[in-house]
Amino acid sequence: MDKDFITRGVQRSTPSRFFLWMAPWVAMLGFGLYSAGLCLIKGLNQTNMDNRFAFGLWIFLDLTVIALGAGAFFTGFLVYILKIEELKSVINSAVVIGLVCYSGAVCVLMVDVGQPLRAWFTFWYPNVHSMLTEVTFCISCYLIVLAIEYMPIVLKNRKLRQVPSFLVLEFQLHKLVYVLAGVGTFLSFFHQGSLGGLYGVLRGRPFAFREGLALWPSTFFLFIISAAAVGPSFIVLTTWMVEKITKKRLVRPGVLELLGRISGLMLAVYVLAKSVDTLIWINRTSPEVGFPAWQYYSWNPFGTWILFLEIVVFGLAPALILLTPALRLRRGWLVSAAAMACLGVALNRFVMTVQTLAMPTLSFDKFLWYTPSWQETGTFLAVVAYGVLVYSFSFRYLQLFPDERMLNTEVKTEEVKTEEVENPREMTRRY
Amino acid sequence: MISEIKPIHPARYGMTIDVDRCNGCGACMVACAVENNVPPAHEGANDRKGLTWLRVYKVDNGEEYPNHRTAFVPVMCQQCNHDTPCVHVCPQQAVDLDPATGVVGQMAERCLGCRYCMAACPYHARYFNWWDPAWPKGMEKTLNPDVTPRMRGVVEKCNFCHGRWHAAKQLAAAAEKPAGEPVEYTPACVEACPTGAIRFGDLNNAASEPARAAKEAESFRLLEKLGTETKVYYRSKREWVREMAQAPRPDQIRKEIARG
Amino acid sequence: MKTTRREILFFAGGSAVGILMTPAPWRLITDTALWSENWPGIPRPARGAITARYTNCALCAAGCAVRARCVAEQPVSLAGVAGHPLSHGALCAYGLAGHHLPYHPARVTRGSEREAMAAVTAAMDRLAGNEHMAVLDLRPGRTASWTYRRAMAAVKNGVYVAAGGALANAAIDLSKARTVLSLGVPLLEDWGTPGNVMAARAGFHLIQADAVESRTAVMADQWLRIKAGSEEALGQGILQALGGQTPVAAAEATGIAEQQFLALAGELRQNGPALVLGGARSKSAAQLNDALGALGRTIVVRREAPVPDAWKKAAPAVDLASVEDGSIRVLLIDESAPGAYLPWSAVEPKLVRDNPVVVTLGWTRDGYGRHAQYLVPAGVYPEVTDDLPPAVDSVAATFRMSVPLVQAPEGVVKPEEWIARAAGLQVGDTLRERADAVHRAGRGTLFTYAGGKSVAAKDVKIDDFWKALQAGACWMDEVEPARRPAAVKVAAGATRQAADLTDDLPLVVVLTEAPSSPLLSKIYQESNLKLGPEQVAIHPLEARAAGVEDGARAVLETLAGRIDVEVRVDAGVPLGAVLVASRPAVLDVCGAGVGAKVVRA
Repeated sequence: MDKDFITRGVQRSTPSRFFLWMAPWVAMLGFGLYSAGLCLIKGLNQTNMDNRFAFGLWIFLDLTVIALGAGAFFTGFLVYILKIEELKSVINSAVVIGLVCYSGAVCVLMVDVGQPLRAWFTFWYPNVHSMLTEVTFCISCYLIVLAIEYMPIVLKNRKLRQVPSFLVLEFQLHKLVYVLAGVGTFLSFFHQGSLGGLYGVLRGRPFAFREGLALWPSTFFLFIISAAAVGPSFIVLTTWMVEKITKKRLVRPGVLELLGRISGLMLAVYVLAKSVDTLIWINRTSPEVGFPAWQYYSWNPFGTWILFLEIVVFGLAPALILLTPALRLRRGWLVSAAAMACLGVALNRFVMTVQTLAMPTLSFDKFLWYTPSWQETGTFLAVVAYGVLVYSFSFRYLQLFPDERMLNTEVKTEEVKTEEVENPREMTRRY
Repeated sequence: MISEIKPIHPARYGMTIDVDRCNGCGACMVACAVENNVPPAHEGANDRKGLTWLRVYKVDNGEEYPNHRTAFVPVMCQQCNHDTPCVHVCPQQAVDLDPATGVVGQMAERCLGCRYCMAACPYHARYFNWWDPAWPKGMEKTLNPDVTPRMRGVVEKCNFCHGRWHAAKQLAAAAEKPAGEPVEYTPACVEACPTGAIRFGDLNNAASEPARAAKEAESFRLLEKLGTETKVYYRSKREWVREMAQAPRPDQIRKEIARG
Repeated sequence: MKTTRREILFFAGGSAVGILMTPAPWRLITDTALWSENWPGIPRPARGAITARYTNCALCAAGCAVRARCVAEQPVSLAGVAGHPLSHGALCAYGLAGHHLPYHPARVTRGSEREAMAAVTAAMDRLAGNEHMAVLDLRPGRTASWTYRRAMAAVKNGVYVAAGGALANAAIDLSKARTVLSLGVPLLEDWGTPGNVMAARAGFHLIQADAVESRTAVMADQWLRIKAGSEEALGQGILQALGGQTPVAAAEATGIAEQQFLALAGELRQNGPALVLGGARSKSAAQLNDALGALGRTIVVRREAPVPDAWKKAAPAVDLASVEDGSIRVLLIDESAPGAYLPWSAVEPKLVRDNPVVVTLGWTRDGYGRHAQYLVPAGVYPEVTDDLPPAVDSVAATFRMSVPLVQAPEGVVKPEEWIARAAGLQVGDTLRERADAVHRAGRGTLFTYAGGKSVAAKDVKIDDFWKALQAGACWMDEVEPARRPAAVKVAAGATRQAADLTDDLPLVVVLTEAPSSPLLSKIYQESNLKLGPEQVAIHPLEARAAGVEDGARAVLETLAGRIDVEVRVDAGVPLGAVLVASRPAVLDVCGAGVGAKVVRA
């Protein structure tokens, strides 16, 4: 029924099967929108955040998805600036993931603030000293960049490109792609970093506070490197998932391995930088303000195991796996390592947000617990559902994977060959 | 933002709180709420979601009876004077350190409710309006006209009763005193404290109580090593109270957890 | 010419770009700032002329002087009156928010006034020979109390029951004490006149015997941690030590070493004048004070403020316990002036079996309103005019009034007037009559709050005297020369009562709290400073044994009943005790002499 909208030469499921796939996600989106609506109408008392846990599940997951969506800018950088042509296989998918991650994060942020109508104040009364101002500006600009990068993918849709002006627009946009990639990289560098800077500048939270370079605490750079490390891993993970679900080959051989290698390299750099930073923090930064670092890990359940988990198990281990060519070639190892890298970054974001706030600062503080309420979880599920819906929609109607047709027609060419043998006369009719 | 305009005779309002005198009666907490139009707790509020611009904590030395000692410590916004954490982090300049008074002011009308300042404050002195403020029917008649009631979704905190400072300024102007000279006024908690544990004054005036107390050996500030240069000085003759003002003591909390 | 789709699209696109160049969308965006500042439901404080008015706080017997900051005649904040000879400018947390009480959600303005009066009149006609009509006064010693006594004298078999028993004839002089031993009395927690206690504090060494680490124990010079319920045993032990005996049994009962008894006895004897404070039923406190020579020094006789001679025909004040069981047919309770709440289990047996008529006059349903047949709504501070009896630590007699700062709503009654009417007693302006009698006595000083000045009462004209009292003032009698009183009755002040030890947990009851504005949630709901109305505190191990955690709902079970509570876990509460914040509903279940335990809800 919607065959005209589907790219020529690729196979997609029937509309009813597609509808069946989408239905539960739409339901999840509905539930999530209801949760978010409750938070907007009744107020943030619907969440389990409190004066001690001013940031909760949403901020933690926002930081995580923005780090995971870093694949968009990093792949763009690799493809258009560093001219690594193979990665063109995944750039479109990466852009969609990036768009979904960033727009989802921004939507959750609008629910997270107490007065969403005042969101424009940051643009009108910006505080040049605040990392959050930087984050707001950069993420807004980058969201626009992503939208502009998404447009050509949309305009290349089989039906839409029949409109001549769209074709022209798409062509013009494509000329801009190098500029967009550059701008995107520049903006991402700053906002990924500033997200780290958000916590690194907190002088009042010695658990999070780091020394650094000029204005920028070390977490600025650590967040950029970790985002660059996990971006390709997340693309590996999502591409593998989509291949599994759709039962198709979507990228040329070697692309995922290349992504894995890049990720492993960045991860190794990250682990090194993080270890150095942690040592400086434990031995100098934190003790200097009267907070010996061992203290932080004496609060159950946050023992030193969390540090070990973050740096070694989910940092060093996947880095080593991804850097080993033999292991990289094995799909199972590659995907597991990519997943571990993603988990490691999520854990790092968790440590910087939730654990920072759980740590007492005054000696008469108690160590407090926080578990998110169902409304918080629901709102986040809305983002997940939204992401899956947009991605599914894009996958169905847009050409997210340029290699798909080639990889899946190879099979068809073989079929034709066998038929040739059987029916030479039929062959002429086909062409 | 930190204003660039420097006044001629800036005041630096501060407090000195005698922890040995505080008996934990809570009069200061109630007086503060009355003065600043803080609404009564919503049904679902507890000590983690409440609005207590000034909060009295009960602290002890971690020992067992008969060496067990307890003290009460009133904590409000410490009015950090150096690298004020909340001022630096607010994305829309809703917080500023007033150079004329040294008071860290919070503009509820500008606040977005992002709570970044709450994450930045090590003294937990900032509170968020998790609910719409609600007063029992008729009780809104008892609101103080000098202070704006806030709306839900914004952060609020102690501002050394800035409404009273304004009133004092107006009186001084009406009495044709020179503008730019610091005025004397008394915040609600200072006025209400029945033991006189909380004293207020201009730290730039060497004769004021806080200025004199700040110089004494038994005075201390909370988390001094953080370098926030707070303007609320505490004092106690007891060594363990002075130690308690510094970093957390997990071993002592562990004892509390073991006790239950 | 046909309009094409392209033209429509161009027009739409052009308009969109064009609108951006007009102020309209930008104005709408900036208007959101105004909308977000003016959400409906955010009240706007009223403006008006700012004046100061003076009164005395009626929330407890201290009657501290109050300066109210009024905006267009509405009090918006309260403060103490600096320089006041008794309260010294102090006002407690309850007093600071007292002006909220007329708007308290639990406040009632509608009741069954007419039905109550009819029922009372009818029941009075049916009074049998040995049946009584009684008035239960929760705050005896007021001018209204005299009216009730006169009313009960005017009716047949009228009985006037003073909560707390016979009226006090002595006061505690803290300023003379050098060593104070408190047997669980919360001296530093809203006892007596807080401002007066604080002013005298530096002059005495305080030994607090307390099972719980109360605020008084924290601030005392020495905290004796005794076993819950063993205050009397401690007192007896010290008596024995004073007599030269070794208090073996007392040491066992209290958990205090025998040596310490001897040390305490020595300290009390040597560092006098000493004072021992005990609960209302404490025999050992009375005995100790006698033995230590406190009578006449730290416990002094205090006469009452002058009373018009015409009033002397009045029923005596009796204790509830002395009333025969099943003998009260008509009971009128004045609980409008908050004071000690007697548990219903103590009151009910005194009523006749068949259809007693119980009328309570109060401002909320939470007190006897839960048990009485009729609730007649009364005014609440600061709507009412009422005088305050002198506080337990007021060495001289006083006469001071709580005057109205706001108007009482329609439908509320003045209890004094109502009860007098029910008894058929004609009364005029009793407070004026009393003030005149005080003035006629020609002694004492008048301290006016507005000016902060003291003048001799005889130097003031009688009308000006009355006017001054109405504008916020306090008359203080001359202090009588110290003499040793024959029989001493000291007012209860505030007490903490502990039950006898039983197999169940003995109860440690927190002192009765004054009526709390909703804003007091700052202290007990939005922080852990005090125990709130529905909360109990137990030791962590007890909590674990009962299977409850901090903040959980549970049931407090006693021999007298059950009540829903919220549990707080506090290591400062000793093992084997439950700390309860008292209010009428709780006291009904946990009245004196009742053991208690906490069970999971």
